[in-house]
Amino acid sequence: MSDMPLTRAERKRQRRIRRFDNPWLNPKLFWGAGLLLAIIAVGILGRLFWDPELVFVGSGIPKMPPPGFENLRGQSGTFANPLGTEGSGRDMLALIIIGAPNSLYVGLMASLIGMSVGIFLGFTSGFVGGRTDDVIRVLSDVMITIPPLLILVVFQSAFGDVTLTMMALLIAGFVWQSPTRLIRAQVLSMKQSGYVQMARLSGASTWHIMFKEMLPNLVPYLFGSFIANVTTSIVTAVGLEVLGLGPQRIPTLGRTIYEAINAGALIQNLWWWWGIPTLLLAVMFIGLLLINLGLDEVSNPRLRKLKL
Amino acid sequence: MRLTKLVATASLMALTAMTGAQAQDVAREDTVIFDLDRTIKDPSNFNWLTPGTKRMHGAHQTMWEPLFILNYATGNIDPWLATGFEANDTSTEFTISLREGIEWSDGEAFNADDVVFTVNLALTNEEISSREASTVRAQVASIEKLDDLTVKMTLNAPNPRFIVENFGVRIFGSFLIMPEHIWNGEDPATFAFNPPIGTGPYTFTSATTNRAIWDRNDDWWGAKTGFMDLPEPQHVIFLESGGAESRAQLMATNQMDAAQNVSVGTFEAIRAQNPAVTAWYSDYPYAAADPCARQLEINTTIAPWDDPAMRRAVNHIIDRTQIVNIATEGATVPSRTMFAQYGSMDPFINAVVDAGFELAPTADVAAGQALIEAAGYAKGSDGIYEKDGEDLSVKIHVNSASTEYTRTIDMIVEQLNRAGVAASSVPVENGVFWGEVLPFGSYEMSYSWLSCGSVNEPWASMGRYTVKDVVPVGERSPGFNNTSRWDGPAAAAYSEIVDSMAALPLGDKSIPGKVADAYQHLAAEMPFIPLVQSFKLLPMNTTYWTGWPTADNNYNHPFFWWNSTHQIIHNLEKAN
Repeated sequence: MSDMPLTRAERKRQRRIRRFDNPWLNPKLFWGAGLLLAIIAVGILGRLFWDPELVFVGSGIPKMPPPGFENLRGQSGTFANPLGTEGSGRDMLALIIIGAPNSLYVGLMASLIGMSVGIFLGFTSGFVGGRTDDVIRVLSDVMITIPPLLILVVFQSAFGDVTLTMMALLIAGFVWQSPTRLIRAQVLSMKQSGYVQMARLSGASTWHIMFKEMLPNLVPYLFGSFIANVTTSIVTAVGLEVLGLGPQRIPTLGRTIYEAINAGALIQNLWWWWGIPTLLLAVMFIGLLLINLGLDEVSNPRLRKLKL
Repeated sequence: MRLTKLVATASLMALTAMTGAQAQDVAREDTVIFDLDRTIKDPSNFNWLTPGTKRMHGAHQTMWEPLFILNYATGNIDPWLATGFEANDTSTEFTISLREGIEWSDGEAFNADDVVFTVNLALTNEEISSREASTVRAQVASIEKLDDLTVKMTLNAPNPRFIVENFGVRIFGSFLIMPEHIWNGEDPATFAFNPPIGTGPYTFTSATTNRAIWDRNDDWWGAKTGFMDLPEPQHVIFLESGGAESRAQLMATNQMDAAQNVSVGTFEAIRAQNPAVTAWYSDYPYAAADPCARQLEINTTIAPWDDPAMRRAVNHIIDRTQIVNIATEGATVPSRTMFAQYGSMDPFINAVVDAGFELAPTADVAAGQALIEAAGYAKGSDGIYEKDGEDLSVKIHVNSASTEYTRTIDMIVEQLNRAGVAASSVPVENGVFWGEVLPFGSYEMSYSWLSCGSVNEPWASMGRYTVKDVVPVGERSPGFNNTSRWDGPAAAAYSEIVDSMAALPLGDKSIPGKVADAYQHLAAEMPFIPLVQSFKLLPMNTTYWTGWPTADNNYNHPFFWWNSTHQIIHNLEKAN
């Protein structure tokens, strides 16, 4: 079989089969991950090739446009600030280099914590059952009905200036309940499946069954849920920042938009001030959406397209 | 741009729908619309003696008139409801003569009885709390009527500034006279005074939380007696604009005639869309100087800022020129002393400068750091000073109501961080800032203008930091005086000199020397750090109305939320 050289058509078919066999090689997943990695790359490479100190107030002349454009006062942009400056003289490029990974960081961090809590509680609730289940279920049901932004606005106003990690922790407090509910449901149905019963009969510990037997089967599903949570967390974080409640001195995309709106950037036609962070947030959300769609296809084979 | 136009059209339509109901019969060209920078929390209450937005929504600009108006251009006290005043040699007795023929809008005569009644109201009711009423209560011992048009007030202590301070619209308001025939028998702490009446050329028509409407009284006493012609606008509206962006849209689309403070960039954007919009100066930096110079307030009871050397260190680290350039877009200048830089203040500013206490326009970070290191701090690996394992940090409370405030504090936070002080800003809502943070001393540092007061003499500002006003943190500072809680031997020495100035007549030759003498204590202890002069860039629209106050047409300052706005409205002329 192997000594016969394959025709082109055969090779192509084999590739297709291979791709079909490995659901992780999904174009949506690739593109989504690519967009997010590009943002992270901008953050890393930017720090190497651009001065991150320019991100602070008063680093340059305020309201300078990108090169090739003029602002209302007739000043044309220079390559000292390739993406222009905002109203307090911060360099827009530096803002993006520092700010975009920051927004992503808050999302990932909050989601990671939220997911971990969710996985733990979901498994415990579904597997242990009884009183524990009642408590966890009621708690997560109650939390689902509470609008997080409302509570977070109050929290953040009370805390004043918060750090990124603090903000992530606060948001994490509102993204654990959905994974808890969903994982609990999955665990309940899985509990009845043959291999779990088998493991139980062979005397495996609860811990072993939960995390060694059942968890691997939930991985694609967990990933999907994780990415959805990252999106929710970033939306929440940006929402808070646009209200002016995020960290003060640490640049984030949301805060940049808040300051632009507050300082009347729209009427002054300072499009680079509000436009660039908005664009970047859009790219970030599209990336997350693509990953989410891709993961959906990974965990649900019926969604996979047959490209013949 | 299309989006901008869409927003503008939408707000225009909303505005037309809003005002349309009341104003159908008055044409736009007969109406003047002023900007209101706050919500009218209680639009049915006109008791100005109690706190709230009860004056600046048109009441004291159109309906209630002051006795005198301080003219910032000439330094004179222009008579309005009064014709003049006389003081005795020791400045303890003031006799005010009232104009003849003044009538309340309901036809009753305005006379000495109303003045005596209102002053007595303030003297006998401890619970009424407006700043003007408290000042009168603190200063006046008694008032008597000499005849129908003359009153005499006797003071507790000599005060040569008595008239301008209380009845002359020196800053924002004045002690307003209320009609005895309506207020008599009412409890001044709870009376709503609705419908309100006044002596002004306009009467109250209606008010909601975001606007107040005033209509011209064609039977106004001033026109009948020949004091002044009827003002041209038939209709005056004070409308809450809500933020720089919508303020700018309303001005650009001629939906507003005078707007509150905007940034230089916003003003240029408005003018690019609507060339009929002007400001105090026709060219950059456009803005008019406001008498309340900006400063960094420091709570001198909280360590490590209870150490004068640490406060001086902060003063060295602050770069005023950078604040001017970045936070105000070059619209103002660095403060040289604590005083507003008006020509009338020059003798006192010069005295301070000559004595060597002038503030530096730029930073001397090394000098600041040397002071911090002398206090036992050493720089950690993160570039922040620490002592005993604790970072040198400071939280700066800032009123979030204006980008001027937040941008200035962002700049200072940056300067301090770069020098090794872990500063951070704490934005606070307007009401909380003035109601809870500042008066009770619940802050380490803050941004405000609490030495505001002096316009043509030094005492009003300097007198706000004497030791008699020191109260513990958690108690309300009287009249926002000495919120720094500056106390100790230097403060006592300062207070003694300032108190000795209080009774000296205006223009006394010894005052500048005393100012310099007292200022040495301020310079050494820095209970507050003067930053920059204040500017107000107020866009004014000449599409429907001309005659706005400008540097070329300087009949008085342009602050149209002050009691002096009567002058502006009388000067307005129809554009066509």
